[in-house]
Amino acid sequence: MRTASTLVLLAAALCGCASQQMSIRSLPPDTPAADNAAAAENASELAAAIATEVTSEGGQGSATNAPPVTPADAPSMYTYDPWERFNRFTYRFNARFDEAILLPVSNGYRRLPSAVRAGIHNFFGNLSEVPSVINYALQWRLIPSARSLGRFAINSSLGLGGLFDVAKKLKLPSEPTGLSTTLSKWGMHPGPYLVIPFLGPSTLRDGVGLVGDYGASHVVNVADLYRGNEAWALGAADVIDERANISFRYYATGSPFEYETIRFLYVRKRLIEDEGLHRKALPKKHDVDAPAGQ
Amino acid sequence: MRGTGAAVTGGCGADGAERWRATARTPAYLAQRATPQSWNDFVSSCGCAAWRIGLPMPLVTRSTWRLIHCALAALLLAAGLAHGAQPVVPSRAVGPATGLADSAALRATVFGTPPQDMAPLPKTVPLAEINIALPWARPVPAVFWFDRKLRVWLSAQPGPAPLAIVIAGTAGDGNTPKLAILRGALYGAGYHVLTMPSPTFPGFIVSTSSTGVAGDLLQDSRDLYAAMQAILSKLPRRIKITDIDVLGYSLGGAHAAVVKSLDATEGKLHIHRAVMINPPVSLFTSLARLDNLFSISIGSGDAGIENLYRRLYAQIANLYRASGRVEIDEDFILSAAALELKTDAELSAAIALSFRLDLVDVFFAGDLYARTGVVVDPQHPPKVGDSLEETARTLRLKPFSEYFSRVFAPYYLKHRPNSTSKSLIADSRLEIIGDALRNDVDYYAQTNSDDLILDKRELAWLKDTLGPRIVVYDHGGHLGNLGDRAQVSDMLDMLAGRWNVTAR
Repeated sequence: MRTASTLVLLAAALCGCASQQMSIRSLPPDTPAADNAAAAENASELAAAIATEVTSEGGQGSATNAPPVTPADAPSMYTYDPWERFNRFTYRFNARFDEAILLPVSNGYRRLPSAVRAGIHNFFGNLSEVPSVINYALQWRLIPSARSLGRFAINSSLGLGGLFDVAKKLKLPSEPTGLSTTLSKWGMHPGPYLVIPFLGPSTLRDGVGLVGDYGASHVVNVADLYRGNEAWALGAADVIDERANISFRYYATGSPFEYETIRFLYVRKRLIEDEGLHRKALPKKHDVDAPAGQ
Repeated sequence: MRGTGAAVTGGCGADGAERWRATARTPAYLAQRATPQSWNDFVSSCGCAAWRIGLPMPLVTRSTWRLIHCALAALLLAAGLAHGAQPVVPSRAVGPATGLADSAALRATVFGTPPQDMAPLPKTVPLAEINIALPWARPVPAVFWFDRKLRVWLSAQPGPAPLAIVIAGTAGDGNTPKLAILRGALYGAGYHVLTMPSPTFPGFIVSTSSTGVAGDLLQDSRDLYAAMQAILSKLPRRIKITDIDVLGYSLGGAHAAVVKSLDATEGKLHIHRAVMINPPVSLFTSLARLDNLFSISIGSGDAGIENLYRRLYAQIANLYRASGRVEIDEDFILSAAALELKTDAELSAAIALSFRLDLVDVFFAGDLYARTGVVVDPQHPPKVGDSLEETARTLRLKPFSEYFSRVFAPYYLKHRPNSTSKSLIADSRLEIIGDALRNDVDYYAQTNSDDLILDKRELAWLKDTLGPRIVVYDHGGHLGNLGDRAQVSDMLDMLAGRWNVTAR
């Protein structure tokens, strides 16, 4: 019965049958003073970070072994999207689902005190160190793997189960990774563009990575969080926290080309991140005329 | 308008890694301007905040791709690099007001007011989103299914207060970062604030425009005015409005003034004062300059765009590698923008490109509604689910002049039998309300002497027409000082009738 009524409500919301001539929806308040203070702080942190980058002479970011990327290496402006019809349908579905369900719920969540939200966010961030530890190891990057493990240990203990990011204060900031990055490191191309229902833009490789990361978390099953009776509630909280921290809104552009724009950018972003992974040698040059991602 | 052409020189050569290190030696340079407001504006206007959601398979969440919008900025920010080797020269007889399209003006235009220079802002501002279906709206084309309703934002005071209605600049929605700055300043000063999209925003064109063909100053303002009436008539009674003022930035400034002049005739809202912030004087002249800027700084045709994209990709990839980061995130974008957008050529190209991308939607919607058949077959309009890739690629190459000659002019010439192309251009000049601006003491303006969208003649006309009711700041480019202490304080004085005309 409960399932049926939920489905009816969901269908009604998605169909927009609750529409009226004018609706007023209250949103979490703007916080301009705090936003501006944060912008000022970011500006000075940015300057400091860049200054450090120079003095550390290369550091992790050294690109000394790799030939620079040249304009000829850029992928085609077209994107490999053989499942476009399905993807477009899914994008539209995701937009409606977000507008009807996720966005209102996450807006409600954003009314909680910021300290509470920060605690929740840290908690889930801490759990995500599990796939990071495993995947850094699979990428044969043992120091970052140890760092992720250290972060997990510190935040789980001193950080009271991950509610506080103590490790960040100890100069161990979060640098998450996942299976999709590991697959990229092993030389796998992104593959076809894929809009995953509910999840959003992805590629085949990244989709596989998501499933793998989830599987890893499930297998490790920290504190029985993933297999216990309340696993679903925890999962829902994670989704809401994640959504509340992302300012994107479907079709805020008002543009009919939004699907193309997001696809273009998502795939280029991932390809550029792939370039960053291959510091010693570029991946084998693919057909320059092939659509990006193929 | 986001900004326009300038006298630009210089180029760039170093690859990303070298550039990263070289520029990084001057952190002070970054600290001065590391919050690219206009850039954020640009990014959000392109709608590329990236995100993902997880449903019952969560706890997978934190992956490396949370902020797609970073990718947009990353790929576009080094726009000028595509043309780095080619010096750009001034190409019009009448230069910007100062005669100098200097680097400071371009930089201010792109990066906006530094956070430390912002006027005091309130701690919190309540916010509500209003979606309204307007009875006169034209049938919604299938591909615009998401734009059925006009969306505006309201911040209401708890008690009776004057209402400030704020209109966005070209292609801006009703909640741009610039509108958020103005909302904070106005709410802090005791106003209810209603922020509205530009009539050139696709959501407005579809939900509110009575023509579907954006760009006519008077017609667009009429639609805005009608929408304002519809919204205000349906506001809850608990919101007590004591007075109504309108203001707008850039093209929205011109709309605000025309809306007030319409209200002076029709008297439906009793708008008291209007403040224009960095308004254009002639819409089409300013747009022609942007076309020119695009062809100079980026080039024309497929090759120009392709070349731009390839150079851009390489620059960002090298910069990303050199940075040693594990993902492209917001910090990376901020530093990349600050590092890459340095020369006048780069800044100019960024401005031109951002504008061109805005125009794509206006052009597409206009062509669809006017049935002019430039990129949309009137007999077979695209359906939901159809690929629009080729249409977008075609439109990216089309300058504003082509929108005017192939969509705007044919549509209006047909609907206004006595008009000519020349008269259409003249009708979109602020001069159409020149008498009101000159004689009515409730019109005000703020601009900068180095605003890129005005030339000397236009600035002189504004000064002459508004007399002591205009303030012209020395620096700021186009909207580059929006939100700073002087701009906000003067704006509030003007709105409240405290602006001391006799002392000026």
